[in-house]
Amino acid sequence: MFKFLLPILFPSWRFFSSIGPSPRFDFGFIKYTDEQPEVWQEFSVLPDKIELTKGIVRLLHNPEWNERLYINTCAENLFDQYSEFREQEIARRILWILNRHNQLPEDYPYFCYRIRVITNEDNLVKDEVIFSAKPFLVKRGVQ
Amino acid sequence: MTLELAVRIAEGILAFAIMQQSVEFIRGQHPEKYLAWLRLMLASFLLVGFMPVWMETGLLLIALILIKRFQGPYNGGSDTMTLLVLLCLWLSHIASMLFTHTKLWQEIALGYLAIQLILSYFQAGWVKVINPEWRSGKALENVFAFTAYPVSQSVRQWATNPALMFYMSWAVILFELIFPLTIFSTVALYIALFIAAVFHLANACLFGLNRFFWIWPAAYPILIWFQSRVF
Repeated sequence: MFKFLLPILFPSWRFFSSIGPSPRFDFGFIKYTDEQPEVWQEFSVLPDKIELTKGIVRLLHNPEWNERLYINTCAENLFDQYSEFREQEIARRILWILNRHNQLPEDYPYFCYRIRVITNEDNLVKDEVIFSAKPFLVKRGVQ
Repeated sequence: MTLELAVRIAEGILAFAIMQQSVEFIRGQHPEKYLAWLRLMLASFLLVGFMPVWMETGLLLIALILIKRFQGPYNGGSDTMTLLVLLCLWLSHIASMLFTHTKLWQEIALGYLAIQLILSYFQAGWVKVINPEWRSGKALENVFAFTAYPVSQSVRQWATNPALMFYMSWAVILFELIFPLTIFSTVALYIALFIAAVFHLANACLFGLNRFFWIWPAAYPILIWFQSRVF
């Protein structure tokens, strides 16, 4: 607990000090735990633009976006050090958002995801899969 | 601005920011969903000034539970600032209860918050200005082009304008570095705080960082008091 509290009591305000690898999430559904998804879908595809009224509403209330930022933070922590908690958090959060958008297929009991990172070094853009999560049983309606 | 007035205004803004965060959690998952209802109730009482020290005690306890739950802050810097404002305001009340003959400890608690607010801008500017990629505009270009922050494809397209990225980078760097100097003048400080609020508004619109927009101003009244107290 103390290790979580110290950086809050004595914060370091190094916002965007360097631009590290940027995570992207792909997800898929499978019938058996030893399978790979037939199709990987990208999670969190950006809209083309945000209307002014929607932007004003999001200023006051934007739970889904903040969930996405939290998922991102979990992934960045995973890059530093593997943690089962973070791996599960990402799965739970993505499933919750997919469930809210009715995007959970009925006939596939397992969900899995992978994390790609995009890096830009000397204008050479790389897009690599660096983490594949274990399959998670989908519990519909309780995410 | 008197210390008491600064604390009351800061508590009002803090309470609103916590209510905003709580309503977002209420639409989320358990257990934070249930804690959010409790947080919303305590923040509502804090907003109207009802037993602030007890409301803040409750809010601090919930904050600790959430930190343990998420193994750190949920929303990075905005949660850090929320807890810092909450803790310093709570400490100022505790100090006024324990040391009735002096305001010194109250002032130390609030002074710490004022200094952290100044640092939140200055340190962010410093780490940018010492980075060649920030000075060239390349870092901001990468933020727009590759990170998860831009809220739409049209915002992501801003990365294709290097001149815009360069000028935006320098505007942010200069503002953040100059910010501490503004405490030498009341007028300059008010102008700086207005620009800072606009900066957080821009971050909310471009990068979806809406929680920062509400919580940072909670510390502004304390900095205004600090400026009048020290200079």
